[in-house]
Amino acid sequence: MEIGFIKKLINVIVSNDNEQTTGISDDELVRRFTQLGDESSFEEIVNRYSDRIYGFALRITRNTSDAEEVFQEVFLTLTKKLHTFRGDSKFSSWLYRVTVNTSYMYLRSQKKHENNISLENYAPYDEKGTLMGRIMYKDWSSRPDIIIFNKEAVVIIEKAINELPESYRTVFHLRDIEGLSNEEVGNILEISIPAVKSRLHRARLFLRDKLSDYFYEWRR
Amino acid sequence: MFMCKDVVENIMGYIDCELDLQTLKELEKHTGDCPECMTFVNTYKRMLEITGKLKNKPFVTPEIRNRLKILLKSKVKPV
Ligand SMILES: [Zn+2]
Repeated sequence: MEIGFIKKLINVIVSNDNEQTTGISDDELVRRFTQLGDESSFEEIVNRYSDRIYGFALRITRNTSDAEEVFQEVFLTLTKKLHTFRGDSKFSSWLYRVTVNTSYMYLRSQKKHENNISLENYAPYDEKGTLMGRIMYKDWSSRPDIIIFNKEAVVIIEKAINELPESYRTVFHLRDIEGLSNEEVGNILEISIPAVKSRLHRARLFLRDKLSDYFYEWRR
Repeated sequence: MFMCKDVVENIMGYIDCELDLQTLKELEKHTGDCPECMTFVNTYKRMLEITGKLKNKPFVTPEIRNRLKILLKSKVKPV
Protein backbone atom coordinates (compact mmCIF):
# COMPACT_ATOMS: atom_id res chain seq x y z
CA MET A 1 0.00 0.00 0.00
CA GLU A 2 1.24 3.48 -0.78
CA ILE A 3 2.40 5.76 2.01
CA GLY A 4 0.25 8.61 0.77
CA PHE A 5 -2.80 6.44 0.76
CA ILE A 6 -2.22 5.19 4.31
CA LYS A 7 -1.67 8.77 5.46
CA LYS A 8 -4.94 9.86 3.92
CA LEU A 9 -6.57 6.89 5.50
CA ILE A 10 -5.28 7.73 8.96
CA ASN A 11 -6.44 11.30 8.63
CA VAL A 12 -10.00 10.14 8.39
CA ILE A 13 -9.85 8.17 11.64
CA VAL A 14 -12.05 10.51 13.57
CA SER A 15 -14.76 9.68 16.02
CA ASN A 16 -17.68 11.03 13.97
CA ASP A 17 -20.26 8.51 12.90
CA ASN A 18 -20.33 8.00 9.20
CA GLU A 19 -23.84 7.57 7.89
CA GLN A 20 -22.70 5.77 4.78
CA THR A 21 -20.95 2.97 6.64
CA THR A 22 -22.79 2.42 9.92
CA GLY A 23 -25.35 -0.09 8.61
CA ILE A 24 -22.84 -2.19 6.63
CA SER A 25 -21.63 -5.66 7.65
CA ASP A 26 -18.07 -6.14 8.91
CA ASP A 27 -17.14 -8.36 5.97
CA GLU A 28 -18.32 -5.74 3.51
CA LEU A 29 -16.30 -3.05 5.30
CA VAL A 30 -13.19 -5.24 5.09
CA ARG A 31 -13.84 -5.88 1.39
CA ARG A 32 -14.38 -2.21 0.62
CA PHE A 33 -11.19 -1.28 2.42
CA THR A 34 -8.89 -4.00 1.13
CA GLN A 35 -10.22 -4.20 -2.41
CA LEU A 36 -11.48 -0.70 -3.15
CA GLY A 37 -9.27 1.26 -0.75
CA ASP A 38 -12.32 2.86 0.80
CA GLU A 39 -11.03 4.91 3.74
CA SER A 40 -14.33 5.47 5.49
CA SER A 41 -14.70 1.69 5.81
CA PHE A 42 -11.52 1.48 7.85
CA GLU A 43 -12.73 4.40 9.93
CA GLU A 44 -15.95 2.53 10.63
CA ILE A 45 -14.04 -0.58 11.72
CA VAL A 46 -12.09 1.58 14.18
CA ASN A 47 -15.32 3.13 15.46
CA ARG A 48 -17.03 -0.20 15.78
CA TYR A 49 -14.27 -2.10 17.57
CA SER A 50 -12.17 0.37 19.58
CA ASP A 51 -14.02 -0.17 22.84
CA ARG A 52 -14.08 -3.94 22.49
CA ILE A 53 -10.41 -4.24 21.56
CA TYR A 54 -9.29 -1.93 24.31
CA GLY A 55 -11.63 -3.57 26.84
CA PHE A 56 -10.36 -7.04 25.99
CA ALA A 57 -6.72 -5.92 26.09
CA LEU A 58 -7.39 -4.30 29.46
CA ARG A 59 -8.94 -7.52 30.74
CA ILE A 60 -5.88 -9.53 29.70
CA THR A 61 -3.19 -7.06 30.80
CA ARG A 62 -5.09 -5.53 33.77
CA ASN A 63 -3.22 -2.31 33.29
CA THR A 64 -4.35 0.73 31.30
CA SER A 65 -0.97 1.64 29.82
CA ASP A 66 -0.29 -1.96 28.73
CA ALA A 67 -3.81 -2.15 27.30
CA GLU A 68 -3.23 1.00 25.29
CA GLU A 69 0.04 -0.39 23.88
CA VAL A 70 -1.81 -3.50 22.76
CA PHE A 71 -4.71 -1.46 21.40
CA GLN A 72 -2.34 0.60 19.25
CA GLU A 73 -0.45 -2.46 18.10
CA VAL A 74 -3.68 -4.15 17.02
CA PHE A 75 -4.64 -1.23 14.76
CA LEU A 76 -1.13 -1.00 13.36
CA THR A 77 -1.40 -4.70 12.57
CA LEU A 78 -4.78 -4.09 10.94
CA THR A 79 -3.42 -1.50 8.53
CA LYS A 80 -0.86 -4.09 7.43
CA LYS A 81 -2.72 -7.37 7.72
CA LEU A 82 -6.39 -6.71 7.10
CA HIS A 83 -6.00 -8.16 3.61
CA THR A 84 -5.07 -11.54 5.16
CA PHE A 85 -8.54 -11.87 6.68
CA ARG A 86 -10.11 -14.68 4.67
CA GLY A 87 -13.63 -14.68 6.00
CA ASP A 88 -13.47 -18.29 7.29
CA SER A 89 -14.51 -17.03 10.69
CA LYS A 90 -16.49 -13.98 11.76
CA PHE A 91 -14.48 -10.78 11.40
CA SER A 92 -15.04 -9.97 15.07
CA SER A 93 -13.61 -13.39 16.07
CA TRP A 94 -10.57 -12.80 13.90
CA LEU A 95 -10.08 -9.39 15.48
CA TYR A 96 -10.39 -10.76 19.03
CA ARG A 97 -7.82 -13.39 18.09
CA VAL A 98 -5.43 -10.72 16.82
CA THR A 99 -5.99 -8.89 20.12
CA VAL A 100 -5.32 -11.92 22.30
CA ASN A 101 -2.17 -12.84 20.35
CA THR A 102 -0.92 -9.27 20.42
CA SER A 103 -1.54 -9.14 24.19
CA TYR A 104 0.43 -12.33 24.83
CA MET A 105 3.30 -11.16 22.66
CA TYR A 106 3.35 -7.83 24.42
CA LEU A 107 3.25 -9.36 27.90
CA ARG A 108 6.04 -11.77 26.99
CA SER A 109 8.18 -8.94 25.67
CA GLN A 110 7.62 -7.07 28.94
CA LYS A 111 8.30 -10.23 30.96
CA LYS A 112 4.89 -9.77 32.51
CA HIS A 113 3.57 -13.18 31.61
CA GLU A 114 1.35 -14.37 34.39
CA ASN A 115 1.60 -17.72 36.18
CA ASN A 116 -1.61 -19.43 35.28
CA ILE A 117 -3.08 -21.17 38.29
CA SER A 118 -5.51 -24.00 37.58
CA LEU A 119 -9.01 -23.73 39.01
CA GLU A 120 -9.89 -27.19 37.71
CA ASN A 121 -10.82 -28.45 41.15
CA TYR A 122 -12.22 -25.21 42.47
CA ALA A 123 -15.56 -25.70 44.20
CA PRO A 124 -17.50 -24.00 47.00
CA TYR A 125 -18.76 -27.17 48.73
CA ASP A 126 -17.01 -29.15 51.48
CA GLU A 127 -15.56 -32.66 51.18
CA LYS A 128 -18.98 -34.16 51.93
CA GLY A 129 -20.45 -32.25 49.00
CA THR A 130 -22.56 -29.82 51.03
CA LEU A 131 -22.69 -26.03 51.17
CA MET A 132 -23.74 -26.01 54.80
CA GLY A 133 -22.69 -22.79 56.54
CA ARG A 134 -20.83 -21.49 53.50
CA ILE A 135 -23.17 -19.42 51.36
CA MET A 136 -26.23 -18.05 53.08
CA TYR A 137 -24.63 -15.79 55.67
CA LYS A 138 -23.00 -13.84 52.83
CA ASP A 139 -26.15 -13.50 50.73
CA TRP A 140 -25.99 -10.37 48.57
CA SER A 141 -28.57 -11.36 45.98
CA SER A 142 -31.13 -8.76 47.00
CA ARG A 143 -28.90 -5.92 48.09
CA PRO A 144 -30.07 -2.77 46.29
CA ASP A 145 -26.64 -1.08 46.38
CA ILE A 146 -25.02 -3.73 44.22
CA ILE A 147 -25.86 -2.38 40.79
CA ILE A 148 -23.87 -1.37 37.78
CA PHE A 149 -24.63 2.33 38.34
CA ASN A 150 -22.89 2.25 41.67
CA LYS A 151 -19.26 3.09 40.92
CA GLU A 152 -17.92 1.55 44.11
CA ALA A 153 -19.73 -1.69 43.39
CA VAL A 154 -18.30 -1.74 39.86
CA VAL A 155 -14.78 -1.26 41.24
CA ILE A 156 -15.32 -4.30 43.46
CA ILE A 157 -16.71 -6.38 40.58
CA GLU A 158 -13.79 -5.45 38.32
CA LYS A 159 -11.30 -6.22 41.08
CA ALA A 160 -12.86 -9.65 41.59
CA ILE A 161 -12.86 -10.46 37.87
CA ASN A 162 -9.23 -9.43 37.61
CA GLU A 163 -8.33 -11.95 40.30
CA LEU A 164 -9.28 -14.79 38.00
CA PRO A 165 -6.24 -16.55 36.53
CA GLU A 166 -5.61 -15.40 32.97
CA SER A 167 -7.01 -18.34 31.01
CA TYR A 168 -10.25 -18.18 33.02
CA ARG A 169 -10.44 -14.41 32.84
CA THR A 170 -10.32 -14.32 29.03
CA VAL A 171 -13.05 -16.96 28.74
CA PHE A 172 -15.21 -15.18 31.30
CA HIS A 173 -14.74 -11.83 29.58
CA LEU A 174 -15.66 -13.06 26.13
CA ARG A 175 -18.52 -15.26 27.24
CA ASP A 176 -20.20 -13.42 30.12
CA ILE A 177 -19.25 -9.81 29.49
CA GLU A 178 -19.08 -9.68 25.69
CA GLY A 179 -21.85 -12.25 25.43
CA LEU A 180 -20.19 -14.42 22.76
CA SER A 181 -21.19 -18.07 22.21
CA ASN A 182 -19.10 -21.03 23.41
CA GLU A 183 -18.20 -21.72 19.78
CA GLU A 184 -16.99 -18.19 19.12
CA VAL A 185 -14.91 -18.19 22.30
CA GLY A 186 -13.40 -21.56 21.40
CA ASN A 187 -12.60 -20.24 17.96
CA ILE A 188 -10.93 -17.08 19.27
CA LEU A 189 -8.85 -18.81 21.95
CA GLU A 190 -8.28 -21.94 19.86
CA ILE A 191 -9.62 -24.29 22.51
CA SER A 192 -12.42 -26.90 22.39
CA ILE A 193 -16.01 -26.14 23.40
CA PRO A 194 -15.80 -28.48 26.45
CA ALA A 195 -12.68 -26.55 27.52
CA VAL A 196 -14.59 -23.26 27.17
CA LYS A 197 -17.46 -24.62 29.25
CA SER A 198 -15.23 -26.06 31.91
CA ARG A 199 -13.18 -22.88 32.31
CA LEU A 200 -16.33 -20.78 32.36
CA HIS A 201 -17.87 -23.00 35.04
CA ARG A 202 -14.84 -22.73 37.36
CA ALA A 203 -14.43 -19.02 36.62
CA ARG A 204 -18.02 -18.34 37.66
CA LEU A 205 -17.72 -20.39 40.86
CA PHE A 206 -14.52 -18.57 41.78
CA LEU A 207 -16.00 -15.18 40.97
CA ARG A 208 -19.25 -15.80 42.85
CA ASP A 209 -17.20 -16.64 45.95
CA LYS A 210 -14.98 -13.57 45.55
CA LEU A 211 -17.98 -11.30 45.13
CA SER A 212 -19.62 -12.79 48.19
CA ASP A 213 -16.49 -12.16 50.26
CA TYR A 214 -16.07 -8.59 49.02
CA PHE A 215 -19.71 -7.62 49.29
CA TYR A 216 -19.89 -9.18 52.76
CA GLU A 217 -17.17 -6.75 53.86
CA TRP A 218 -18.51 -3.78 51.95
CA ARG A 219 -20.75 -1.23 53.74
CA ARG A 220 -21.72 -3.43 56.60
CA MET B 1 -29.07 -38.63 46.76
CA PHE B 2 -28.98 -35.19 45.19
CA MET B 3 -26.48 -33.05 47.10
CA CYS B 4 -25.44 -29.37 47.18
CA LYS B 5 -22.48 -30.51 45.09
CA ASP B 6 -24.86 -31.66 42.35
CA VAL B 7 -26.57 -28.27 42.31
CA VAL B 8 -23.18 -26.57 41.96
CA GLU B 9 -21.92 -28.90 39.24
CA ASN B 10 -25.17 -28.61 37.25
CA ILE B 11 -25.63 -24.88 37.64
CA MET B 12 -24.49 -24.00 34.12
CA GLY B 13 -26.84 -26.51 32.55
CA TYR B 14 -29.62 -25.20 34.79
CA ILE B 15 -29.07 -21.58 33.74
CA ASP B 16 -28.85 -22.56 30.07
CA CYS B 17 -31.97 -24.81 30.34
CA GLU B 18 -29.95 -27.81 29.18
CA LEU B 19 -30.69 -30.27 32.02
CA ASP B 20 -32.65 -33.44 31.43
CA LEU B 21 -36.04 -33.46 33.14
CA GLN B 22 -34.99 -35.83 35.92
CA THR B 23 -31.94 -33.77 36.92
CA LEU B 24 -33.94 -30.56 36.68
CA LYS B 25 -36.63 -31.92 39.00
CA GLU B 26 -34.09 -33.12 41.56
CA LEU B 27 -32.17 -29.86 41.41
CA GLU B 28 -35.30 -27.81 41.97
CA LYS B 29 -36.45 -30.07 44.76
CA HIS B 30 -33.08 -29.85 46.54
CA THR B 31 -32.90 -26.07 46.05
CA GLY B 32 -36.42 -25.70 47.43
CA ASP B 33 -35.39 -27.52 50.60
CA CYS B 34 -31.86 -26.14 50.97
CA PRO B 35 -31.51 -22.42 51.72
CA GLU B 36 -27.75 -22.57 51.09
CA CYS B 37 -28.34 -23.77 47.55
CA MET B 38 -31.17 -21.29 47.05
CA THR B 39 -28.76 -18.49 47.98
CA PHE B 40 -26.08 -20.02 45.78
CA VAL B 41 -28.43 -20.01 42.77
CA ASN B 42 -29.70 -16.49 43.48
CA THR B 43 -26.25 -14.94 43.86
CA TYR B 44 -25.01 -16.85 40.79
CA LYS B 45 -27.86 -15.44 38.71
CA ARG B 46 -27.34 -11.97 40.11
CA MET B 47 -23.64 -12.14 39.24
CA LEU B 48 -24.45 -12.98 35.61
CA GLU B 49 -26.95 -10.16 35.47
CA ILE B 50 -24.41 -7.62 36.69
CA THR B 51 -21.40 -8.79 34.70
CA GLY B 52 -23.53 -8.94 31.55
CA LYS B 53 -24.05 -5.20 31.91
CA LEU B 54 -20.32 -4.43 32.02
CA LYS B 55 -20.29 -4.70 28.24
CA ASN B 56 -21.78 -1.26 27.83
CA LYS B 57 -19.06 0.41 29.86
CA PRO B 58 -17.25 2.84 27.54
CA PHE B 59 -13.52 2.27 27.47
CA VAL B 60 -11.74 4.34 24.87
CA THR B 61 -11.40 8.00 25.83
CA PRO B 62 -10.89 10.76 23.23
CA GLU B 63 -7.27 10.96 24.50
CA ILE B 64 -6.63 7.30 23.75
CA ARG B 65 -8.20 7.68 20.31
CA ASN B 66 -6.12 10.75 19.61
CA ARG B 67 -2.90 9.03 20.63
CA LEU B 68 -3.78 6.16 18.28
CA LYS B 69 -4.21 8.61 15.44
CA ILE B 70 -0.88 10.31 16.13
CA LEU B 71 0.92 6.99 16.40
CA LEU B 72 -0.48 5.64 13.15
CA LYS B 73 0.56 8.87 11.45
CA SER B 74 4.12 8.68 12.78
CA LYS B 75 4.52 5.02 11.82
CA VAL B 76 3.82 5.58 8.14
CA LYS B 77 6.17 8.54 7.73
CA PRO B 78 8.68 7.86 4.95
CA VAL B 79 12.20 7.21 6.30
ZN1 LIG C 1 -27.88 -27.66 49.02
